[in-house]
Amino acid sequence: MMDLKDCYTKFGGDYDEVLGRLQRERIVEKFVYKFLDDKSFELLETSIKNEDYGEALRAVHTIKGICQNLSFTKLYEISNLMTKTLKENDYQKAVDMMPQLTDDYYKIIHTVQEYKQSKEG
Amino acid sequence: MNKQKILIVDDSEMNRSLLIEILEDQYDVTEVNNGIEAITLLSRHRSEFSLLLLDIMMPEMDGFEVLTYINKYHWNDGLAVIMISADDSPENIKRAYDLGAFDYISRPFDATIVHRRISNTMFLYARQRYLEKIITEQFYEQEKNNKLMISVLSHIVEFRNGESGLHVIHVNTITELLLKCLVRRTDRYTLSKADITLISNASSLHDIGKISIADTILNKPGRLTPEEFEVIKTHSAIGSEILLELPLEQKESPLVKVAAEICRWHHERYDGKGYPDGLKGEEIPISAQVVALADVYDALTSKRCYKDAYSHEEALKMILEGKCGAFNPILLECLQEIADTLETELKNTSSEQETKNIQDIRNKIDYDRLFSYEKYTSLSRKQRNLQLLYVDSLTNVHNRRYYDEHFQDIEDIEAIVVIDVDNFKHINDSYGHDVGDIVLQRVAKAILSCVRKTDAVIRYGGDEFVIVFHTIPADVFKKKLEIIRSCIDMLVIEEYPKIHVSVSVGGAYGMGKIKELFKVADSAMYEAKTVKNKVAMRFLIEEANNI
Repeated sequence: MMDLKDCYTKFGGDYDEVLGRLQRERIVEKFVYKFLDDKSFELLETSIKNEDYGEALRAVHTIKGICQNLSFTKLYEISNLMTKTLKENDYQKAVDMMPQLTDDYYKIIHTVQEYKQSKEG
Repeated sequence: MNKQKILIVDDSEMNRSLLIEILEDQYDVTEVNNGIEAITLLSRHRSEFSLLLLDIMMPEMDGFEVLTYINKYHWNDGLAVIMISADDSPENIKRAYDLGAFDYISRPFDATIVHRRISNTMFLYARQRYLEKIITEQFYEQEKNNKLMISVLSHIVEFRNGESGLHVIHVNTITELLLKCLVRRTDRYTLSKADITLISNASSLHDIGKISIADTILNKPGRLTPEEFEVIKTHSAIGSEILLELPLEQKESPLVKVAAEICRWHHERYDGKGYPDGLKGEEIPISAQVVALADVYDALTSKRCYKDAYSHEEALKMILEGKCGAFNPILLECLQEIADTLETELKNTSSEQETKNIQDIRNKIDYDRLFSYEKYTSLSRKQRNLQLLYVDSLTNVHNRRYYDEHFQDIEDIEAIVVIDVDNFKHINDSYGHDVGDIVLQRVAKAILSCVRKTDAVIRYGGDEFVIVFHTIPADVFKKKLEIIRSCIDMLVIEEYPKIHVSVSVGGAYGMGKIKELFKVADSAMYEAKTVKNKVAMRFLIEEANNI
């Protein structure tokens, strides 16, 4: 059976680092679950589609912050990059990053869902 | 013990709940998701919060704007702001510090670091409040001791003189009133608030030279011979010599310097006909000029071994006619301006100590604004009890009990005013009672700022205020009511700029029983109320109607 640490390894995060900061596995798990309900990614998708780059910057900035707090290393790297790119108003380059970001995002979502089901199972 | 309250301002729900998770065991945490909500909450309840955790990047109003606002209104005097910094960009952090942030926490949050930063900040703020409290207490203690020493010294002189000790207190009060009036009228003399206090305190020592005058002359009931008068006259020079023989470092202190000036020259006259040096006009230091006038006025209105007391009006007339020597014309103007305040003030220092106590409380309150520390610690127990009994806790003016107990059967009141806030129910209904409270506080403050210290302002009930004037000239009364009305009409409540406050004012003028005056004022107020934002007045004496 998969534990939380395995999840982190699978989607590219640093479990030891997050546990060091938040100190209890219960808290890490609680917030990893919370990530499933966070709407920032949907907001990012819509605003990119609507070419509302101001709103997109806010959304990806929020995602970046969450990733930082939960040590989602891989998703952090791409969202950090996209934040910088949007701040520099390089919209095309930012749009080009969306597939990679989407990929990394769903990797986390699916892994966590799988973990949650196996635990509740 | 109650947990300390923290407000988290962050647009990311995840971030907020993470911080709450870390902090909720130890603190009482409230969250809002943007700057505007934060300002709205803080404008009403900031005193409840000890600390603010503030995100920088937020929609509507970002962290920098919130900080700027907080700094502008000095809310961070009692509230520590810790920024949450997303990216560790030094630019943002520096800017936040410049805008008054106390510290910052950077993401990703580390539970231990968050805890430490917050508890250290709280500790420093608590320590600062504690130190402020100690300094405030010491400050008052020292002030009290200084005044006590000066008054002991000056009472020794008066005691020998067979006087009650009131002369020193009176000269002190008159000097202060004259100086305050003087700086309002002219900028010819550069006198700060501290200078005024210094001169008033030093005035207590004006007669110390009398210590060396023989009893037989000093207390002689009849008229003095020219020789005896020459002896008396030496007291001014002797007084300053006593002070100037003090060791150098004491001699150099501002208090001693000013006191020596006052001692030597408080019998000089503006036309050069005084003693001991025959100084003329502005050659006489302003401190000595003012004390000279104060001394003469009080000497005239007090009973002495060689004469009876003159009435206030007689004394004023004698001085203005030059019967007591020449004074600086601008000081004579000041004396006239403060004349009616003077009359009541001096009555207070002698007979109505209790009223004075309550006035002291009001003064103390202003004084205490110097420090952000809580208000009433320096009051004596008696004052604190009076405070609880007679001061309205919301508005800081007198309460209904004070009115009922002090004024109900009094007959020598000259005028009374009833003031009612227009549309107050509407303000309460549409903005809530909290805002209604703010309005009442502002109205009370505005009324207070328009009246003299000797006039009593009372919150009579709900939104109704009463002012009692012991004495006031009819024409001044007329103007004053209009000033109060327009002062409130122009009131802007910064947190709620859309609210316009006005009052209906009813005044009754003329000697009579306070109950009757009140009835008349009340019905005048109702007459004004039909129009609103208006003054209506009734004069019970014929002559006054013609003014």
